Amino acid sequence: MNRKKNFVWPLLVLPGVLFVTVFMLIPLFSLCLTSFFPDQTFSLSSYFSLFKDQYFQQTFVRSIRLSLLSTFMCALLGFPSAYYISKYSRHKGMMMAFAVFPMFTSPVVRSFSWMVILGKRGIVNNFLVWSGLFAKPQDLLYNEFSMTVGFVQLFLPQMILALIGVMDNIPDDLTLAAGNLGATRIGSFIHVIFPLSISGLVTGSVLVFTGCMTAYTTPQLLGGTDTRVLATMVYQYAMSLRDWTQASVVAVVMIVCTMAISSIFNSMSRKINPMA
Amino acid sequence: MALLELKNITAGYDQNIILKDFNISVEKGEFVSLLGSSGCGKTTCLRLIAGFADPMNGQILFNGKDYTGVPLHKRNFGFVFQSYALFPHLTVFDNVAFGLKMRKMDKETIRREVLDMLKVVDLEGFENRYPREMSGGQRQRVALARALVIKPDLLMFDEPLSNLDAKLRVKMRVEIRKLQQKLGFTAIYVTHDQEECFAISDKVAIMNKGVIEQMDTPSEIYNKPKTEFIARFVGFENFFDLTRTGSCAFKAANGAEIVTGSDHASHSCKGCIRPGDVSVHAAGADVVNAIEGRVMVSTFLGQHNQLNVMTDIGEFVVSTDQTQVFPVGETVTLSLAANKIILID
Ligand SMILES: Nc1ncnc2c1ncn2[C@@H]1O[C@H](COP(=O)(O)OP(=O)(O)OP(=O)(O)O)[C@@H](O)[C@H]1O
Ligand SMILES: [Mg+2]
Repeated sequence: MNRKKNFVWPLLVLPGVLFVTVFMLIPLFSLCLTSFFPDQTFSLSSYFSLFKDQYFQQTFVRSIRLSLLSTFMCALLGFPSAYYISKYSRHKGMMMAFAVFPMFTSPVVRSFSWMVILGKRGIVNNFLVWSGLFAKPQDLLYNEFSMTVGFVQLFLPQMILALIGVMDNIPDDLTLAAGNLGATRIGSFIHVIFPLSISGLVTGSVLVFTGCMTAYTTPQLLGGTDTRVLATMVYQYAMSLRDWTQASVVAVVMIVCTMAISSIFNSMSRKINPMA
Repeated sequence: MALLELKNITAGYDQNIILKDFNISVEKGEFVSLLGSSGCGKTTCLRLIAGFADPMNGQILFNGKDYTGVPLHKRNFGFVFQSYALFPHLTVFDNVAFGLKMRKMDKETIRREVLDMLKVVDLEGFENRYPREMSGGQRQRVALARALVIKPDLLMFDEPLSNLDAKLRVKMRVEIRKLQQKLGFTAIYVTHDQEECFAISDKVAIMNKGVIEQMDTPSEIYNKPKTEFIARFVGFENFFDLTRTGSCAFKAANGAEIVTGSDHASHSCKGCIRPGDVSVHAAGADVVNAIEGRVMVSTFLGQHNQLNVMTDIGEFVVSTDQTQVFPVGETVTLSLAANKIILID
């Protein structure tokens, strides 16, 4: 199985490595540098002042909270769908196509359609009023609710795809064995399917979480002025306030947070399924 | 009353009917093997009994109760999969404990039962290993322990030994048989290895194209096959048409008189005989059940020679002693041992 050492094969990765280095690693590095050298000398002052800033604190917490909530919702909604598509569906190809279909439209278009749906005269409000649940139309837009809805719709396909990927690799014999040993369908889901799907759940969660943390269009269009998140904050600092240092500080904080939470997801999964 | 009975079962996948009017009955404590060529429906049959799939028609009776609609987790049947189907994320202990946990037994009892069972299958000290850290034979024993520990009313094996090497297969089948005799469980064992199923079972059911052609004890099947398919399966190679002329007396197609050890009810039937039960003599020899023929092929097979002899009633395959040499083209007289001729419809 051991392939002979060869000088040609490593060259194949060179273009990719070069691209990532020039367009990603170097800019990222200079971004970090900017944030640590606000006035040409090393100082963490930008970080300290940022974290003391109440507006930033709120935004920071909101970003993480919304991303976690959206990730959780995606997992909650994605798990049963993925389970059904992978294990029970007779028209798997079609179901997969439906699941990923939203990915074919741009986030801008999707956000606008939510504006129509959730607006004061949108179908949701019309229904709420018509059914008598509420007397007047509710504020469903430009708040955390509409942002979460937008995020979930945006990233649910990623979660479903990641989950189907692992569930397809769980042999049917395992669920039959569980049933044969006395597990109900729910029991075999809890004891067999779920722990064996953890790796997909982690992949999906990391994708969704990073996606939510970095998404710009959805919070910009579906959020309001008092529901800023880190991504919109970066834009604000860079484009409106022209404060590049502050913008890069926020960006670095975003990267660190995203990586930290992703690795927490990973270590949690290892607790549930040590073999994953 | 039989413990398990399948009555007129029809089953298949979508339009594709695999079992048609399938019947089998298994007594309590019996070890029954299902033997048949690949794709004949053995796994399909086990899956029906286990409740993994439903028959299109017919009934599954267990202890006289209709089990046809009972969901799989309520049947209390054990199943040893061809692939073992061990849970990869659970240790050996947790794999074996799975069924007991589902039965909500208390921790201490589970612990005791699991450790006892691991002792029975000779896997003490392996509790904390994961399946992928074990050899094929060890995994198979884990699968066996997992199925046995729930004290199933019926244990099914789907070619459990097919992934093992020849030596381990023999060892494991002896162990399975020993365990069965020790614990007295009722078992249905699927295999397509003839030797394996003869060695291990009380009864063998031979399947052909979705039906059971014969179900009997191994020696009964070996010595008294009822159909040509079974006869070929257990080593009969020479078949010839016979017409009955009297008690144990028949006439072959060329008019030769054939006497047999047993009788047959119908006027016309088929006789068959194994290559080793035909002796070869010089042409014109005065022997019982004599058939003249010409040697077509002579093959050296080590312990004996095999001759293909063309006769008026078809080609015969016979084994001869090494000392007997019959050159190709020579005319010989075959003698069919009377009490070794089996009559089939
Ligand atoms: N899921 C399925 N969908 C459609 N046809 C199937 C399916 N599983 C099995 N079959 C068909 O049903 C027939 C019987 O299959 P089965 O698995 O019962 O055979 P088997 O006797 O167990 O064979 P083997 O000894 O190779 O395991 C085969 O012709 C097979 O092609
Ligand atoms: Mg099979």
